[in-house]
Amino acid sequence: MDKLSVEHLLGIKYLNPNDIDLIFKTADHFKEVINRPIKKVPSLRDITIANLFFENSTRTKLSFELAEKRLSADVINFSAGQSSVKKGETLIDTVNNILSMKVDIVVMRHGNVGAGVFLSKHVDAKIINAGDGTHEHPTQALLDSYSIREKLGSVKGKKIVIVGDILHSRVALSNIFALQLQGAQVKVCGPTTLIPKYISSLGVEVETNLKKALEWCDVANVLRVQHERMDIKYFPSTREYTQLFGINNQILDNLGKKIVIMHPGPINRGVEITSDVADSDQSIILNQVENGVAVRMAVIYLLAQQIKR
Amino acid sequence: MSTLLRNATIIDASSPYHLQKKDILISNGKIKKIADTIQLKENTNLVDLEDLHVSCGWFDTSVSLGEPGFEERETIQNGLQVAAKSGFTAIAVNANTNPIIDSKSDVEYLINKANNSATKLFPIAALTQKSNGIEMAELYDMQQSGAIAFGDYNKPIENDNLMKVALLYAQNFDGLVLSFPKNNAIAGEGIANEGINSTKLGLKGSPALAEHIQISRDLFLLEYTGGKLHIPTISTVKSIDLIKEAKKKGLQVTCSVSIHHLTLTDDELHGFDSNFKTNPPLRTKADTKALQKAIKNNVIDIITSDHNPIDIEHKKVEFSEAKDGVIGLETAFGAINSVLELEDFIEKLTTKPKAIFGLENYTINEGNKADITLFNPKEEIIFTKQQILSTSKNSPFINKKLKGKVYGVYANNQLILK
Repeated sequence: MDKLSVEHLLGIKYLNPNDIDLIFKTADHFKEVINRPIKKVPSLRDITIANLFFENSTRTKLSFELAEKRLSADVINFSAGQSSVKKGETLIDTVNNILSMKVDIVVMRHGNVGAGVFLSKHVDAKIINAGDGTHEHPTQALLDSYSIREKLGSVKGKKIVIVGDILHSRVALSNIFALQLQGAQVKVCGPTTLIPKYISSLGVEVETNLKKALEWCDVANVLRVQHERMDIKYFPSTREYTQLFGINNQILDNLGKKIVIMHPGPINRGVEITSDVADSDQSIILNQVENGVAVRMAVIYLLAQQIKR
Repeated sequence: MSTLLRNATIIDASSPYHLQKKDILISNGKIKKIADTIQLKENTNLVDLEDLHVSCGWFDTSVSLGEPGFEERETIQNGLQVAAKSGFTAIAVNANTNPIIDSKSDVEYLINKANNSATKLFPIAALTQKSNGIEMAELYDMQQSGAIAFGDYNKPIENDNLMKVALLYAQNFDGLVLSFPKNNAIAGEGIANEGINSTKLGLKGSPALAEHIQISRDLFLLEYTGGKLHIPTISTVKSIDLIKEAKKKGLQVTCSVSIHHLTLTDDELHGFDSNFKTNPPLRTKADTKALQKAIKNNVIDIITSDHNPIDIEHKKVEFSEAKDGVIGLETAFGAINSVLELEDFIEKLTTKPKAIFGLENYTINEGNKADITLFNPKEEIIFTKQQILSTSKNSPFINKKLKGKVYGVYANNQLILK
């Protein structure tokens, strides 16, 4: 199988294990490419990609743009702040206007849950979801799994705990789906107020004691608290959050084993993770960023293969 | 001009002709004769339809038409036509308008607009001024003008004391108070039933708890105040239990269920299609099963379409941006009839809602006013978007199989057939 089972990348829940395997094998190749002196391949010459970021992003946007440019695609960028969205234009109209300039692939980040799925039904282009509200962030989950695979050899059978604000996190949801597809065990850990009531229906265990969660796991993927998505305070203060769920060297040193520390960024140093942990040799945070480019190249390349030229 | 209904199976438990196949002659708006065969005379309109069944005219207790203010969603004129062709000889229209129906003149405007239509329009006026949940509207004045009940459409009264006062005050003139079952603080910004599906889809969940807390509050208030309370569109297993208990205690509480809550679940949300965005949200399979059972054992008194037309500009957008609400008049019968037996639900469309909202019911018998729905309970159809007669097309039943077909109505001296 050298073809994805899907026409768009809208979420991990729409993929099968073969898709993930194919994306990772393709990413292996591109990772080798981007470490060459000449980092560019001509694969996507004459393919035009629009990066539509209706929500702010630094890392994801740069990573996609770099991936597209390394593949020699033509790239246009759009962010909502400077657009007609502010003037009341609908999502379909905005995107169709851009597509009429002959765009083949749309990479979209949007605040509304399901925006990618919605768009895929109404416009004629390949859609890559770069984060839709609290739904999914599939390329983040793919690069997270890819980084675990690189560090530990495989994802299968590994124990991964996702720590932090699970309720407001698209990264958590995509990671849960991706890790389970590859045969990993997943737990979530965080304040009970920030854990969805029905999370166990996804086959995920809940552990509210950080120390126990870390003792159990091989990998801890640490998420930031998404204050911007909260309607009320879900915990009294950042200080108290850090006391209960902050990861520091003292906790890690007492585990009796070395676990892998991940973070999708941006990090709030001193809140969910201390600087010495973030910068330690247990942390693969910067590897995640590097792998992000290779994984996104793979996804874009595989979807572009389906475009009739 | 007379009308002869040929070979009609009469479904009306209060009629001596119940379950019998008869010819029915209607003249000057009244049933003149019911017999095995009636000869067709000149100047008589013959209605001879396949497997024709007739029942007392159906009454829908929760219909929104856009007028005044949202004519792009639906007009009163077309809305009444749609209702007639969907089998309804009476509809209660929600104060889901702009301006909101909260005064005598607003109520009179609606009634005058619907003058002489086959389907009768009965306004439900807002309980509070502008439905703002702060001050009561002039309920008695509006009742005198023709309002049959009082409720802020799809909005809970958050102030407990205001609800208490409204329940007490309405007793002075035997008014029926409606209370929408949702606690806003618990529901928050939830847009889907909190459960497995909302978790998988990352949709902000609105817990069933929000409905239970509000119903519990209202039942405590009703126990204190006395009077009558109607709870529209309940949607969960536990809500049924709460109302069952209250009825056992002898409280004068009644409730309705929407047809989409009887037949659809939040499994439908996987395509993020806003035609499944409703308030209350679609719940689980366990809930639909329990709601169907509660129809059979009479805990739920009324079935409503909760018809709420929304224009395409507010529906063909991302799920979270879309307005909630679905149209339901046209699919009402076919959808209910697909999950329940005719004998189990027909009174929830006819005698029960009419008794609760104070409308007269006309038994199918000689000498009575002809207020009749014509239908075929067996024919199966696939409901398509092209068939929709409503101005707005926001139906959750598009491309679904429905059992039963409505021919139309005879009401207010008019025969309206689809």
